[in-house]
Amino acid sequence: MDTKQLWKNCLVEIEEGMSKANFSTWFKNTSIIKEELGIIYVGVPNEFVRDWLKNKYHKLITKTVADAYESMRAVEYLITKIETNKQELPKLNEAFVNVNKELPLRDLYIDKEDNLNPRYKFDSFIVGSFNELAYSAAQHIVEKPGINYNPFFVYGGTGLGKTHLLQAIGNAIKEKYADKKVHYITLEKFATDLVNSFQAGNNKANAFKEKYRKYDLLIIDDIQFIGKMETTQEQLFHTFNTYHENNKQIIFSSDKHPNYIPELADRLKSRFAQGMIVDISEPAYESRLAILKVKLQEQNIDLEPEILEYVASTIEGNIRELEGSLNTIICQYRLKNRPLSLAEVKTLMKNNIKPKKNVSIKDVVKVVSDHYNLDEASIYEKTRRKEIVRARQVVMYLLREDFNVSYPLIGQKLGGKDHTTVIHSYLKIKNDLKNDPQLLQEIETIRTMFK
Amino acid sequence: MKIECGIEQIKNAILQTERITGKNLTLPILSSILLIASGKNLKMRATNLSLGIEIEIPAKIEEEGTVAVSGSVLSGMFSNIVQNESISLFTEDSNLLIKTKKSKIKLKCNPYEDFPTIPKVSGIELEIDAKKIMDGIKSVYYSSSVSDIKPEISSVYIYSNEENLVFVSTDSFRLAEKKIKVKSLQEISGILIPFKNIPDILRVFGEFSGNIKVSFDKNQISFSSDSVYLTSRVINGVFPDYRQILPKESKTEVVVLKQDLSNALKLSNIFSDKFNQINFSIKPKSKIFELSSQNNDVGENKTYLDAVLSGEDIELSFNYKYFLDCFQSINTDSISIKLNQSSKPMVVSSSSDNSFTYLIMPMNR
Repeated sequence: MDTKQLWKNCLVEIEEGMSKANFSTWFKNTSIIKEELGIIYVGVPNEFVRDWLKNKYHKLITKTVADAYESMRAVEYLITKIETNKQELPKLNEAFVNVNKELPLRDLYIDKEDNLNPRYKFDSFIVGSFNELAYSAAQHIVEKPGINYNPFFVYGGTGLGKTHLLQAIGNAIKEKYADKKVHYITLEKFATDLVNSFQAGNNKANAFKEKYRKYDLLIIDDIQFIGKMETTQEQLFHTFNTYHENNKQIIFSSDKHPNYIPELADRLKSRFAQGMIVDISEPAYESRLAILKVKLQEQNIDLEPEILEYVASTIEGNIRELEGSLNTIICQYRLKNRPLSLAEVKTLMKNNIKPKKNVSIKDVVKVVSDHYNLDEASIYEKTRRKEIVRARQVVMYLLREDFNVSYPLIGQKLGGKDHTTVIHSYLKIKNDLKNDPQLLQEIETIRTMFK
Repeated sequence: MKIECGIEQIKNAILQTERITGKNLTLPILSSILLIASGKNLKMRATNLSLGIEIEIPAKIEEEGTVAVSGSVLSGMFSNIVQNESISLFTEDSNLLIKTKKSKIKLKCNPYEDFPTIPKVSGIELEIDAKKIMDGIKSVYYSSSVSDIKPEISSVYIYSNEENLVFVSTDSFRLAEKKIKVKSLQEISGILIPFKNIPDILRVFGEFSGNIKVSFDKNQISFSSDSVYLTSRVINGVFPDYRQILPKESKTEVVVLKQDLSNALKLSNIFSDKFNQINFSIKPKSKIFELSSQNNDVGENKTYLDAVLSGEDIELSFNYKYFLDCFQSINTDSISIKLNQSSKPMVVSSSSDNSFTYLIMPMNR
């Protein structure tokens, strides 16, 4: 349905029934903002007009719109911002501005009311296999906030787009439901607010509760720091209950699964698990390439495909670093004002690539044996004690998988084993990994120690 | 309608509401004042669709009723009635008859059915000493931008910060900030009152003593006392993040008597050019604080001022008007000027009271 045309037709009808003066005073700058479930939202410039349209012309408007648009059920009035014509800057001022310097005022970008950054939208969110579950859950939440997946808990490593996803949900809900109050906050700010409220005395402690319970959607970012804060946990628990009871959506993000957040109270843990817990993992090569392409499009810049492929293949995992590298390249591109060659990009990126640590076989053995609480020497021994065998197999697997050491060399270094033994161990662990999540977790933990 | 009331009361109410009637608008009814007699009160209402006002006065009502009468005619009439007695008003056909002891007046009425309502604000509510809030607004509003291009800065911005109610306005060449302590203040994330409505708000409540109720929501703010209800549209926008440009330290500081500086500025202005440019030359080591200005058509001038100087030598030029403006907001005898570089804003404040801060951007030479 073309709302513009509909409103134009209605205005023609409405104009007939009243004086020109009345019409131009009350109907100038009005428009249909949107239509939702048969409700027509008419945008008006201010409260005076809204009051008057509602009191005086509501019947007329409803009737006219109903005649023109059959599935209309009701008409509502919303106050909208009128766009002033910004291009028409008065010329007179020019000389004046040249002499008088302006204060370096920058527009506040983040909305103070809800802390949301309008830059984070679903449109700019790239979906790949690494985050599609989180994305589709987010879409469901926007569809029916508070009903589907409440609470929604997102976890994943740094720079993988958790904050982007959270803020995109907030922005989408704000856009879709004009009456819903959204609030985004980091745990740190939440805790500081709480402490301040205690300092201010009894009166303010209630103000804190009221402040955080009045929203329809509360987003708390970086919740992993809650571990040591017992009182904050308690307040969060109560706030959480209020939201949940009233079917209001609440969303958390963390860099770990709630089970691994140290010193998290059980009652909170179980509540987090009550809704939906999803992880965002690291993007694969294809996703990284897609992200780069979208970012370039935003900046309106074209780069050679092989440069993009190079960047995508060298920067692993972290999207934030990926963006950082791309920005460096774009900056150079703008500076030089010509396309860059692959060689130039390689020199540029030198600093951005994390140097791979030189890990010796001995280091691997040490880390693994430490992890399993074994004596380092026992790995090299010819023993078939179960716990040692397992640790030795893990060492072999890691050496082969992560460090590309040849089978014979592994065998030789680990107490003169045959290379077939090594192959067997490698394959065994590889197979076990497929259906043993605990082993996977162990290996992940060990791997982080090499980084 | 048939009523009787005191002249002085109705006169004041009419003169105040008349200011807010709509002038040169497309809808003629807006230039009227609506008189509503009901219960034991006479209400007078006017609006220009940006501001709305309603004043209530006690009256003896024999017959209830509503009429709309041209505001300018009413105010012209009342400002020339000087008796201090009671007055009676009653309608006859479509006319309003007004009788005092010594005069008889017949006024034509407008159809009142088209007179708009005035929005009632339901939102955050606070009760506050009228003096405080008006003082805050008065201290900064002259710095707002007069053009409509950026509505968010052609307004006075009010927000709460801990125990202070903070008032700010800027036209991007200078900026004024006033903090006023208010006990048990609610959190206010920010209201933008259009600059154009400020003089009217100050006129109505500027002299009021006692508490008034201030309510506001996203679209509207209202001020109300027992007898007066005033509501203004607020601007839907975000005020620039000004706090990041307030200099935290300064390299040069001047403390000078306000009267001395004011006289010197006025003198220098005679010789300033069309951009009102005046130069400061501050040399703490040689104890020189010099104001100078020159105009090829008039001549030139140098004035030396007694002042306490500290820090580094500095020279800069600025628009004298911006400087003179802020003197009305500083109530102490001496003022302090803090400077950083000749291209950075200078900060003017009272030397002893830090509730008012004023930033002036220097000129390019």
